[in-house]
Amino acid sequence: MRDALRYEWTRLTTLRSTYWLIGVGLLCSALIAVIFGLAAGDDPLDPEILSASINGGAAFGIPFLAVFMAIIGIFSTGHEWRHGTIQPTLTALPQRSRLIAAKIAVVAAATLAVTLVSILLNLGVVLAFWGEAPGLFEEPLSAALLGYVVYTLIYMLTGLGLGLLFRGVPSALVVIFLMPLILESLIVGLAMLPALDWLEPLVKFLPFTAGSLLMTVGPVDLGMGADFGFFGRWGSGGVFAAFAAVIVGCGWYLFKRRDA
Amino acid sequence: MITAKGLYKRYRKTVAVNGLSFEVRPGVVTGFLGPNGSGKSTTMRLMLGLDHGEGETTFGGRSFASIRRPMNEVGALLEAKPFHPTRSARNHLRMLAAANRIPDSRVDEVMEFVGLGAVKRKKPKGYSLGMAQRLGLAQALLGDPKILLLDEPTNGLDPHGIHWMRDVLKSLAAEGRTIFVSSHLLSEMQLMADELVVIGKGTMIFNGDVETFVREFTQSAVVVRGPETAGLAAALKAAGATVSAGPSGELLVAGMELEKVGHLAFTEGVELHELSTRSASLEEAFMSATGASEQFAAQSPIRSVDEKGGVADA
Repeated sequence: MRDALRYEWTRLTTLRSTYWLIGVGLLCSALIAVIFGLAAGDDPLDPEILSASINGGAAFGIPFLAVFMAIIGIFSTGHEWRHGTIQPTLTALPQRSRLIAAKIAVVAAATLAVTLVSILLNLGVVLAFWGEAPGLFEEPLSAALLGYVVYTLIYMLTGLGLGLLFRGVPSALVVIFLMPLILESLIVGLAMLPALDWLEPLVKFLPFTAGSLLMTVGPVDLGMGADFGFFGRWGSGGVFAAFAAVIVGCGWYLFKRRDA
Repeated sequence: MITAKGLYKRYRKTVAVNGLSFEVRPGVVTGFLGPNGSGKSTTMRLMLGLDHGEGETTFGGRSFASIRRPMNEVGALLEAKPFHPTRSARNHLRMLAAANRIPDSRVDEVMEFVGLGAVKRKKPKGYSLGMAQRLGLAQALLGDPKILLLDEPTNGLDPHGIHWMRDVLKSLAAEGRTIFVSSHLLSEMQLMADELVVIGKGTMIFNGDVETFVREFTQSAVVVRGPETAGLAAALKAAGATVSAGPSGELLVAGMELEKVGHLAFTEGVELHELSTRSASLEEAFMSATGASEQFAAQSPIRSVDEKGGVADA
């Protein structure tokens, strides 16, 4: 397994896109905190603004860092087919499950490290504007902070799984952008119409919507006061995690069975 | 030593590889010949476990998937340009080396060996096909393996490159390594290979040495040329030989030794300007062996009406 980890680490760190994706992700995330600081720096810091500043707006539906880490996840698997490197990879490392396990471990570790760096950067921005971060390590902010780390990790794993499932980059990118931004928003919006209220019970199972609940610091409100009966922070996180697990599991199973 | 047994691969209704079994011995270059689409690449991918099918292949007694750090035992080059376009060539090799505990110093060594030392930090997207093939060979040689599998390694190389590749493979074989190399360049194989595995439509056509292949798949003919050979042709036929006319009017006699043809001409009192044996090339043998098994046969070019046998004659 150590050989596979060494391979994946070298693969990840010798790719220029890894650095600029991480850089842009950190920058965009920090910029959101700067915008909040510029807009509300003179007001007292409430928990929702503090949480959203720390997670770079992820709780408000703009998860920059998670999306960029998901692209790194997609590249970790999808690039192998897009550029035909799966053939030399498997002649260097023919144990397919070991290869996928190493990809998950290395990219997950990188995601954790980058997310922690991003949190520290954004905390620096918050301290620069407000000079304090009240209650950051107390409930519910501490749980929301941990939820943000878990959310980014699951988002990345979904990307990695999609790259593996589709054996390429473009289809995986389309799904990772289309599903949360358009498909789920559409279903949530339609579920609020009286004529389509039968969609309401489905909303709590929408993976990206449920996943965003990992970062809430107050009551969930998706607009118009609709109550979708969400499972709570960790239950909703479980829905998102189960979705990622199904994607990764299917991709892994097919990777073992398909021709390379 | 490579041992392949009962290799079989089907894509829906098409059988790509049909029960291939062969051995590849160390110390010689074994050529893997077949027309386009005959299943050469699929066979190599099956051997390395990249494709799933039936049968088994062992490398020195072990299956490829069971070898820990396989690049140190088996080197493979299967596809042209399997590189990420923006990762430098050196980093591409470092990445593969990392999975096989091969030091970076060996990466630099093989890049120098294949002549890419000066461009090792460049991105492969700027490489020509010939340079990419050299990088592919560097990749295969990374772990200094005892066994090499190379799919069309001379594709895209210039004449110097082809000559260099041939010499490299022959010298690697002379060191006692097992070399299995596919090619559609028959003249290349004639110069490079000692043994042949020839397939057509995924089926084994021949497995043995080059000379036997030529002998088995070509009929050597006796060429007879003279000012008046019609009478001799009749006498040859009467004596049991098969006689046909060559492109420039000469007689091509099959089924009779040169000496007997000469004796018959002497007894018939026929003046001869040429009496010789025509031996076939590997290319002719290959065409004869695989002609009926071409998977994607193209049509012959249409000849002009002015030519003999052209469309006006049909």
